Amino acid sequence: MIEVNGLYKKFGKVAVLKGMNFQAADGAITGLLGPNGAGKTTTLRVLYGLLKPDAGTARIDGLDVSSQRLEVQRRIGALPDSHGLYPRLTARENIRYYGELHGMSGAALEARIEALSEMLEMGEIIQRRAEGFSTGERMKVAIARAVIHDPQNVLLDEPTNGLDVMSTRAMRAFIRGLREQGKCVLFSSHIMQEVSALCDCIVVMAHGEVAAEGSAEDLLRQTGQSTLEDAFVAAIGSEEGLQQ
Amino acid sequence: MNFSIRRVWVVLRKEITDSLRDWRSVSSSLLTPIFMPVFLIALIMVVGKSVLKESVETSLQLPVMGAEYAPGLMDYLQQNGVNVLPPPQDAHEAVRQGQMNVVLVIPDGYGEKLAKGQPATLELVMDSSRSSAAVDVQRARGLLNGYNATIAALRLQARGVNPGITRPLVVDMVDMATPESQAIIFLNMLPFLLIMTIFLGGLNVIIDTTAGERERGSLEPLLVNPAQRAEMVLGKLGAALPFGVFSVGLTLVLFGIGFNVIPLEEYVGFKMTINPGVLLTLFGICLPMVLFASALQMIVASFTRSYKEAQTYLSFLPLVAGLPGAFLAFLPVKATQEIMLIPMYGQSILINQFLRGETVPGSYLTTSILATLGIAVVLIFVAMRLYMREQILFSK
Repeated sequence: MIEVNGLYKKFGKVAVLKGMNFQAADGAITGLLGPNGAGKTTTLRVLYGLLKPDAGTARIDGLDVSSQRLEVQRRIGALPDSHGLYPRLTARENIRYYGELHGMSGAALEARIEALSEMLEMGEIIQRRAEGFSTGERMKVAIARAVIHDPQNVLLDEPTNGLDVMSTRAMRAFIRGLREQGKCVLFSSHIMQEVSALCDCIVVMAHGEVAAEGSAEDLLRQTGQSTLEDAFVAAIGSEEGLQQ
Repeated sequence: MNFSIRRVWVVLRKEITDSLRDWRSVSSSLLTPIFMPVFLIALIMVVGKSVLKESVETSLQLPVMGAEYAPGLMDYLQQNGVNVLPPPQDAHEAVRQGQMNVVLVIPDGYGEKLAKGQPATLELVMDSSRSSAAVDVQRARGLLNGYNATIAALRLQARGVNPGITRPLVVDMVDMATPESQAIIFLNMLPFLLIMTIFLGGLNVIIDTTAGERERGSLEPLLVNPAQRAEMVLGKLGAALPFGVFSVGLTLVLFGIGFNVIPLEEYVGFKMTINPGVLLTLFGICLPMVLFASALQMIVASFTRSYKEAQTYLSFLPLVAGLPGAFLAFLPVKATQEIMLIPMYGQSILINQFLRGETVPGSYLTTSILATLGIAVVLIFVAMRLYMREQILFSK
């Protein structure tokens, strides 16, 4: 459960977030949709405790992200904007490192790695060094280490960026699987089709603010448009976020 | 959630595993310690042979013109190990052109004057501006003075006078230079080489775990994990320490082996050894410097964006930190309690004192160790603060 209230953040003199408000419920997929520079990554970074908001609050499972950072970080799994692996470690070692940082160890940790490896169809790459992995393979390892501790909240920053069709389908299946387990999933994208294919709730962002919020039907109704594409353009006031 | 040593250990173990698989980290920790002793010992062999070792054992080569006029002097010279050579065509020209270091010229009337008891003139042709010839000139003069004194003593004895009467003063030169204190000219470079080793030993580990982590894009996901930044900093710093300690240890062991196995006395003319006890003490003096250096490197690395940038800035550190110590090789500084407060500099002086075999006050040692450790701890806290900043995330 994620609650964001009046979030305000500026870098130097530039206000990147100007009073963000939205909620993401458990057992649902919430999409942050907006053009590049709308503030999606900054919002997510505040949520995973890497940036402190200048004003407003963000709560995850009722815990404040700035004052209870480590408690919050135990309850989230994140796939940030950059998600590099350690090329000299094997996929298993990469995942195990994060598990150990979450306080896991021994047979329980190894069993969890095995389960994730199967779920994400990693096959033999689990014991290979990450050097030379394809984008899809790297993404699988990054996802596995992010959810190694089975977090209630999963935050994904543009998770399908750069993935081929097969990997994108696998990623979508994985995200739906999380919803079925009752997790709260929040993911960002600048691609409208991506968001509409997956999300129960869409938060349309533009210029550091929420431009519209709700299910796909809600958005059509609010904007008075007949297609989601038109609704999106109407909400953000331009066509800059549309996939070519 | 409180500070957890367990998480420090998780980070440390991962970074060590990772670094041991990194050729750059392993080679900088392994090759530097090999290079330093080889460099210094090669220097001693090359420079020592040409500068230090005086040609005492070799016999003086002395060309003599008119040797037939002074058979007595020739006997005396040969008894004193001089190899009397035939003269050149033109003694003055030969010396001026540097073909000969010194030529003795005995004039025609020498024997006659000597027999009459008149002062007989000899000519020693030399070039005082040629320093390489100075040793030969001095030896020739010494021998001629000796012969002079011998003849004078004989003449006095023949007249029933005690020859001692003409020698109111006898000056004995007592040389306090021990072989060790001569060797110190070379060993004075050791502190600088050790400081270089200390900085280079863990350098790549520090860069790889800080700037490298950011460049790979693995920093942001790492920081999302529930761990204190202080734990991260300590883990990463702790991973660099074994590499630095290993480098210093290997350097000292190789120095020890080099000095005790290679017959350096053949090159410098006296024995050069370092005993294992001194090496162990030097190792102990170096340990606080390893912590200091790694903490300093973490701080500098936190401001750099990429591996290359970090490498550029960090290569200057050992020079800045080690140069004051390097000057000690040329300008000996008196050790004081205050100087011991300065990291690297205090140690440079201490290392020199131990190598020279001097008695080092225990208070100097404690001051130096505690001061450097104290400053290192402050630097570690600074590094922790720096890694808590939001900007640590951004590469631009």
